[in-house]
Parts: sequence; structure tokens; C-alpha cells
Amino acid sequence: MYEKTVRRRRAVLALLVVLSLILLTAYFGEAPSGGLHSVQRGFLTVVSPIQDGANKALKPVRDLFGWFGSTLKAKSQNAELRKQLDKLRSQYTANQENEHSYRELVKLFHLDHELSIADYNPVTATVVYQSPNIWYSIITIDRGSSSGVRVNDPVIADEALVGKVTEVVPDAAQVSLITDSAVEVTAKISATGAVGLVQPQVGEPGRLLMQIYQSSTAAPVQGDYVVTSGTVASPGVSLYPKGIPIGQVTSVNEQGGFKSVAVSPLADLRSLEFVQVLTYSSGSRAASLNNVAATLTPTHQPDREEESQGQGGQLAQTGGGG
Amino acid sequence: MNGPLLGGRGATSIATAQRSGTDGGAAWLPGSLVWRVAVLSVVVVFIQISVVSEIPVFGVSVDLTPLLVAFIGLLCGSTLGAVAGFCVGLLVDLALMQTLGVTSLTFTIIGYWAGRLRELRDPQAALTPLFVGAVAASAAMVGYSVIEFLLGVDAPVSLELLREIVVGVLLDTVVALPMWALVRRCLVGALPDDPRRRRRRAYTTGGLSPLSQGRGGAR
Repeated sequence: MYEKTVRRRRAVLALLVVLSLILLTAYFGEAPSGGLHSVQRGFLTVVSPIQDGANKALKPVRDLFGWFGSTLKAKSQNAELRKQLDKLRSQYTANQENEHSYRELVKLFHLDHELSIADYNPVTATVVYQSPNIWYSIITIDRGSSSGVRVNDPVIADEALVGKVTEVVPDAAQVSLITDSAVEVTAKISATGAVGLVQPQVGEPGRLLMQIYQSSTAAPVQGDYVVTSGTVASPGVSLYPKGIPIGQVTSVNEQGGFKSVAVSPLADLRSLEFVQVLTYSSGSRAASLNNVAATLTPTHQPDREEESQGQGGQLAQTGGGG
Repeated sequence: MNGPLLGGRGATSIATAQRSGTDGGAAWLPGSLVWRVAVLSVVVVFIQISVVSEIPVFGVSVDLTPLLVAFIGLLCGSTLGAVAGFCVGLLVDLALMQTLGVTSLTFTIIGYWAGRLRELRDPQAALTPLFVGAVAASAAMVGYSVIEFLLGVDAPVSLELLREIVVGVLLDTVVALPMWALVRRCLVGALPDDPRRRRRRAYTTGGLSPLSQGRGGAR
């Protein structure tokens, strides 16, 4: 009897472990359109209304805990922000003057037809799921294809880039954050204009690394802002609108003539509550630019990549009329 | 007397059943226990995803799911612990659009280990849930990391990653006792009757003495 029970117990364990390994191997090996991915999307479709309801019902609890955390955080940030405010106030005055001159010049040379966030249709969505696992930088939002959300649409929060849409069902969508290994963004340093690719910093959850293409540009310094460049440099990446802030430079490294900077994201990716998905309607300029980007990048990949790197990734541009 | 660990019915049911050859297997598990485990698992996973994961403490969120699996194993035995671990892991992977099987594999092992700890050692110390919670949280985080490395994520171990793992384990350990109390409260009513209590009741009402019943019940 005892032997039989032991055998049964071990058989159950072995069966479950083997089943997990089969699932893991099959899921990892199949394409995103495969059966297991479809099951996952179907599950998300079914449970997304429940998630949404639970999220709204439990919001007061979350807010209560969030209030304590935010109060403590706000107190510690208060003094530091006051110092920054004093410094920025003087910079702002100088920048206003520069901005005026810049606008005059842009008008003079007929360059004032770049796309901005307003040219996309921002769809506000509530974050209903956030992975607690540091290995997965994904969130689930309560807006899907029925609201015009599509795969690869850029997602912003607090005016800063947070990621892109990677899966869509009618009433929900999965967003991979910029700290996810599946996401890369062509960006530039606003102060120097140096273009590069922003990717997650390996082994540093929540941090980004920007590889700078051009070695000849002025060296970035700590505190410089990194913004989207409005270009695509490799296949399958999103065409993010130009000038969306991504983060701030925290350190600069140089190896073999190539510069890379560590970037701290501007958006608080661990406590996102609302985000905006930048969608576009068919026939709009944003849509046509996305189509151009999609048709250009997958062909002649090796040459294209070299070319794009040489030219700072200027394959398709959301500025300057595309 | 019942040990401080369970404090109620079912204090040593699994361990005694194991010794008497019946084990904590699923064959004799009452249906109400299985239902309670299923409902508790779904509720905890939804609360984890909807609320707990959105409250970062020192930049890390508490993860209740490995604690849930470990405590189910600790209360119900290795077989139900492993099955619950697999199902909770699958639910988490499905809901969070993660690689299917990663969490299932880790949680299956955690649930089985906690059940075996119960069956072999029958720990009675009041702080056992803390220890089990810490080990379960560590195993979950290290398990994720190892599997991710095996799947090809090129991530060297960094101080930041280690800090997140250590803080995550500490947070899970802090919430282990309340989580244990919740799981025990939900499941203890459906656990099989404590054999020691049954023996004591039989003896005082004229049945066999604990000694003679112990001999009779032994294999």
C-alpha cells in the first residue's frame, strides 16, 4: 500500500514537471501566431472584463497603500525638487528666448510640418495587470482593437515613453515596457543630437542603455534628456513619434571609440495607473509613415542595418514630411 | 494537544497518514478541500495581479503566489501541493502573458517540497511559515532566473538584480505569517480530521487506547 502511494506521488510530480517542460519548450519554440499564444490571447479576452472589474473594485485598497508610499516618497523628493526648480527656472528663461528664435527659423525655412503626439489619436487606458516578476516588463491595459489599438502602437504616460503594444484582443492589449528585452527604441540625446538605440540594460531591471551610433558627436553629460528620434533602424520596431522623452542620462561609458550611456526612464514604470496609446487612423500621415517604415525595414536586412547605422538610423522619419 | 503550527483540526493528519501508509495523496482528499484550494488560488492570483503587484515597496512588489503554493503544500501534502503549484503557475503565466511553463515548473517543485517537509518532518514551530515562505520566495525568484538563463536571456548577475531578489524575499517573508493565517483559515475546515483528536475522543468514550490503536493503525 505504502509503496503504491509513494509510486503514485512520484508519478504525479514527474507528470507535472514533464508537462511544464513540454509547455515551456512548445511555447518558446512556436511563432507568436502559434496555438499556445492563441490560447493565451483567448484567455486574456475572457478574463479581461473580470480583470477590469477587479481592478476598479480594488482601486481604493490600492490607492490607500499607494497614498502611504507616495507620501513617503514625496517627502524625500521635496527638497531635491526645490533645488532643481531653482536651477531650471533660470534655464527656462534662456530657453524661451532660444525657442522663439528657433520657431522663427523653422517658419523661415518651411520646416514646420513635423508630426507631433497630437497628430496621433491618443487613447487613454487603465493598467489592469502589471507583472510582479522582474523578468517580465509587461502590463495589460483595458483598451484593445475595438478602440483602435494595434500591435506596435507607442504607449506613453506622463508625456514620457513607456513602451509599445505587443498583443491585442478586442477589449485589452498587452504592452511591453521599454525595459523589456523585446523593445528597442531609436532615440537621440536632445542636447547633443547624438542618435542611438535604447535597449534594456542587461542585468539591471528598470534601467536602459543607449548605444550611440556617431562617435564624433559631443559627449553627453549626466542629466541630459533622451528623446525618441522619430526614426526606425531595424525591422519590427515601432515608428515612435519624434521628441517623446524617454529618460535622463545617468552615466556615460566609452569603449573602443563607441559611446554608450545609462538612461533612467522618466516614467515610473513600476506604478503605472493610466497610459495613452498613440493610435492612428487609416489614411492619416502617421499611418502612411508607419506603412513606409514597415515596408522598408524587413528587406535587405544586413545592408539596411549597416546603412541605417551609418546614417544614424534615418530610414523612415516622422518628421520633415516623411 | 495540537501543535502551534496548525492550531486546529488537521494538525498532523498528513504526517500521521504518511506513517500509516495512506500518504497525503489525492486519492482520499475530500472534494471540499480541492474546491477550496481552487477558489483560494484563483482569488489570490487575481488579487496579486490587480492590487499587490501595483504596490511597489522599495521598488519591488510582494509576490503572494509562491507563498500560497508553499502553504497549500504545507497543509495538504506533497501531491496536492504539486498539483496546486502547477495550476497556480499556469494561471499566472496565462494571465500575465508570460512564457507558459516557467512559473508552473517552479511552483510545482515548491508545492511538492513544502508538502514533503510536512510529511517527513511535521514541523510544529510557530515560525515555520516564515521559514517556508522565505524558502518558497527564494526558490521562485532563483527558479525564474535559472530558467530565463537557460532560455537564453543574456543577463549577467548584477548587484541591482541581486538587490531586487533579496528585497523581494524579505518582503515575502514579512507577509508570510498573515498569508499563512489566511490560507490556514480558508482550508482548515476542509482538512481531514486530526487523527490524534480522533484517537483521544475514541479513548475517552470507551474506544481503544491510543497505544492499542497506534499498534493497530501501524503498517
